[in-house]
Amino acid sequence: MPKIILDGKEIEFKPGQTIIEAARDAGIDIPHFCWHPKLSVSGNCRMCLVEVEQMPKLVISCATLASEGMVVHTSSPKAVEARNAVMEFLLINHPLDCPICDEAGECKLQEYAYAHGRGESRFEEMKVRKEKRIQLGPYIKFDAERCILCSRCIRFTDEIAKSHQLTFIKRGDKVTITTFPGESFDNPYTLNTTDICPVGALTNQDFRFKARVWEMSKTNSICIGCARGCNIEIWVRNNQILRLTPRYNEDVNSYWMCDNGRLNTFKFVNSDSRIDGPFVRRNGLLEKVSWEEALSEASNKLKKYKGNEIAFIGSAYATNEDNFMFIKLAKLLDVKKVMFARHIKEGDQDDILIREDKTPNSLGAELIGLMPINENLLNELFEEISTGKIKVLYIIEDDIFGKYENLKELAKKLELIIVHATNKNITTEFADILFPASTYAEKHGTFVNFQGRVQRIRPAVATVELDRALDGMSMSRWDKFGTPFDRWMQGKKYDAKPSWKILTSISTKLGLKIKYEMAEDVFEDIANTIDEFKGLDYDLISNNGIKIKNKAYEYIK
Amino acid sequence: MNIWELVIITIVKILIAITTLLLSVAYMVYFERKISAWAQNRLGPNRVGYKGLLQPFADVFKLLLKEDIVPQAANKTLHTLAPFISLFVAFATYAVVPIGPSINIFGKEIKLVAADVNIGILYVLALTSLGVYGVTFAGWSSGSKYSLLGGIRSSAQMISYEVSMGFSIAGVLLLSESLRPIDIVNAQYGWMWNAILQPIGFITFVVSAFAETNRLPFDLPEAEPELVGGYHTEYSSFKFAGFFLAEYANMIIASCLIVTLYLGGWQIPYIDKLGLNATVTTILQVGAFLFKTAFMLFVFIWVRWSIPRFRYDQLMNIGWKVMFPLSLVNIIWVALLIMIFKI
Amino acid sequence: MVAKKRKKNLNFFERIYIVEIIKGMILTLKNMFRPKFTMEYPEVKFEPPASYRGRPVLVLDENGVERCVACGLCSRVCPALAIEVQAAETEYEKERYPEKFEINMLRCIFCGFCEEVCPEEAIVMSKDYELVYTNREDAIYGKDKLLVPIEQLRDRIEFLRKFK
Ligand code: SF4
Ligand code: SF4
Ligand code: SF4
Ligand code: SF4
Repeated sequence: MPKIILDGKEIEFKPGQTIIEAARDAGIDIPHFCWHPKLSVSGNCRMCLVEVEQMPKLVISCATLASEGMVVHTSSPKAVEARNAVMEFLLINHPLDCPICDEAGECKLQEYAYAHGRGESRFEEMKVRKEKRIQLGPYIKFDAERCILCSRCIRFTDEIAKSHQLTFIKRGDKVTITTFPGESFDNPYTLNTTDICPVGALTNQDFRFKARVWEMSKTNSICIGCARGCNIEIWVRNNQILRLTPRYNEDVNSYWMCDNGRLNTFKFVNSDSRIDGPFVRRNGLLEKVSWEEALSEASNKLKKYKGNEIAFIGSAYATNEDNFMFIKLAKLLDVKKVMFARHIKEGDQDDILIREDKTPNSLGAELIGLMPINENLLNELFEEISTGKIKVLYIIEDDIFGKYENLKELAKKLELIIVHATNKNITTEFADILFPASTYAEKHGTFVNFQGRVQRIRPAVATVELDRALDGMSMSRWDKFGTPFDRWMQGKKYDAKPSWKILTSISTKLGLKIKYEMAEDVFEDIANTIDEFKGLDYDLISNNGIKIKNKAYEYIK
Repeated sequence: MNIWELVIITIVKILIAITTLLLSVAYMVYFERKISAWAQNRLGPNRVGYKGLLQPFADVFKLLLKEDIVPQAANKTLHTLAPFISLFVAFATYAVVPIGPSINIFGKEIKLVAADVNIGILYVLALTSLGVYGVTFAGWSSGSKYSLLGGIRSSAQMISYEVSMGFSIAGVLLLSESLRPIDIVNAQYGWMWNAILQPIGFITFVVSAFAETNRLPFDLPEAEPELVGGYHTEYSSFKFAGFFLAEYANMIIASCLIVTLYLGGWQIPYIDKLGLNATVTTILQVGAFLFKTAFMLFVFIWVRWSIPRFRYDQLMNIGWKVMFPLSLVNIIWVALLIMIFKI
Repeated sequence: MVAKKRKKNLNFFERIYIVEIIKGMILTLKNMFRPKFTMEYPEVKFEPPASYRGRPVLVLDENGVERCVACGLCSRVCPALAIEVQAAETEYEKERYPEKFEINMLRCIFCGFCEEVCPEEAIVMSKDYELVYTNREDAIYGKDKLLVPIEQLRDRIEFLRKFK
């Protein structure tokens, strides 16, 4: 491979790479604002100026192709001087907003100002004032003063979201960003611009002023908004999720995620409708009971029925571990009907990220051995319930009654309905025994996305059974030094458990000899029994996921 | 005098002695705090009662109302016993201290001492050695390293200084030719105070007395900066109060002994030459005794705020290499005195 | 290690320290009769100078609005983690204000870092040293107790402008 010499170090590059890309591959970060690895080069911020020997002037490393033998200096006096000058220019009109700016703490301008700034301004005139609270789209606030006109957001809408909604207008120090007249910045991916905006000009309306970035802990996880399974980070403070951000994974979602996933897949975790502790129906009313009581009740009642009197409905929202234990219990009880429901939103799909299948794990559920519910299966189920053949329904983590309204009528015929649910929904209203299930943000587990990629989720929010420190969850400074007397440690902890744990307890009560301590143990069993998962473990899946072996799964409806 | 009279008189004397001792201990604490404050340009306790005079009672009530905590690792029996040993020793020593000559009440001659023992001085020495046990038990039984260190230091210190103390007293005994405290006092008629006749012995005895009572600059057994509280680290509430009382009681007794042995006891030089009525003389003499004791107590507190604590090695050095030889020198000196003036 | 030599070799009389001890005792004795410094607190109160660091308070500007913009810097810098801030949006120009601002006075160590870091001169150390509470909850001061009109804080703010 050809080589360039960067700051005296020889680094290799692929032909066609620019200097900044080559440096980045070698782990060297050349300061930059407008360049983004996934966007076209615009070269307008001039921050990435470097000195190349035998070139008459400094060059911008984002637009200069690397060539064999090039000698590049990123920190020669000339380069540093140029960079400092660029910083000074940028700061002339940039407001002193850091204390009220959501970007502070993860702001490129702030970081570079710290590294390259003069520390004081030579500029005595008034700064240019622009509008500070422009509602650019439904979820985005734009602060024109803070914008450094890097055009990343414009290029994003043109090249990635392909909605061509943003543009520069005006000239000189009046330049600003706007949508075309009468249009709102409302494509399904708008919030990605808040991530790539190097400053705090574009901010997430939903997260606005909720917390400072350094107050939160972040946990690597997977978005449950659709079958894409975008890699995300969950940001938590006081045991409450405050925002989700995409996490780079070239094979799944690159740097992006959709607005729906970002905004609508975490609020249920900390909502009032959470089920807190197990419930059992007594005299027609759901009554809170102890875990032991609920578990014995469930196992005692299940014991009374024959396998063909029971139907099991798993979930494409549940992890592989949950579904696997569900099938184990089904086998123990000799249940034949073990299914799960798909949640398809016809037409809501594009070739960027969004998938029609709105569950994160339907492929996983299928691979583990659940039957997807289709017309025939559904009719058969209805039939058997109405004739009284099936007397028991065991549903985990899915609002089956909400999806199949007919069931509401048939519920009277059923003698026992056991439900695991995270939040109250129509199904939970019909439950005889209701177990509180941990949400995806409260447990370890795996999902299989539509590409056949196994990806891990991790607990970001603590439930009663979890302890941040002891269970190795990520911790902010506040978590580390808090005591039970501090208000910031008193965030609500729900009394919920992952479904696989609940199912394991019931199975043991019914005589099955298994000993799962952790989700990892269950996964080990999955890897041992199911072909597609052979040889996998949590360490291999790690942060970026791993594609299932043998078959190249492409999701077929 | 029949036996019953004797018993009643003795009981009354004991009661009076104990009450005055307790009261004086209480006010000792008060004055200690006051004088400490003055030495530091502060006011000291001044809230409870007039000028804070009820402060000692507030202190005692506070201590009594506190929770009694016994560490889990403690030896419960000894832990409880230790403060009582200390208290007992302190109070028992008081029995042989004469506060004045005999007095005539209802035609009976009553000696102003609880027990006129003819080996009084031996009795004192024996009891003070017993006192070590209280401290050592406390240190050992608490199950805490600080207490243990405090206890060990205390026993080493007391044993070391007891030697020079004993030798200093030997000088006194040579002159008085009696072990009975009253005789010792009588032997110091006029200006023949032992402090004047044998100044070296006086100094060694006073220093040893400081060491024996664990007072600054010899308070290593409870050196706060290093040992938290020393042997009483693990004590609270009433038991702590026990040690507290014992410490002050010891101080008072040490002062009494210094006065009896070296400062002429109740003697006021040549008061008999004034030809006063016998009762008045006695009262004046008792007053003199109390005054002298009070002055010694003041010296105790005064020294506390003037002289810093010794290091442990220095303490041992002084004990064995300075005080002990000095007390021997003192005996020789006294022997010489006797040879020259009495033979 | 070689023991350090004393600068001066003391002679015998100096080494027995008797004279020094007596001098020391006389000094103590003298002190006992000097005037006392004690202030008898509830009756006589200490009026601290501007440099005094009493409990931290929030400045309530002349227009009746708090200066704080809930940037959370004080909360970040606080070595004792005493401060908890929750921001919210306002209509005023400064965009945000503290919806919740709590200082746990049991945690606060009166270091004054919060005052030093505040970009808005919004939190300053007051002269208030009379802090009493009977349970943990009472020790957490909310905005109601923290906001103090600027008039009462003038000399501290002047002091800061001069010396910070
Ligand atoms: S964009 Fe960055 S530099 Fe500008 S105010 Fe926000 S945090 Fe500060
Ligand atoms: S809003 Fe942000 S991303 Fe867009 S041009 Fe301005 S600084 Fe760049
Ligand atoms: S540093 Fe100042 S402005 Fe920021 S939150 Fe604290 S008091 Fe408010
Ligand atoms: S004075 Fe120090 S400890 Fe107290 S709140 Fe301010 S920064 Fe925290």
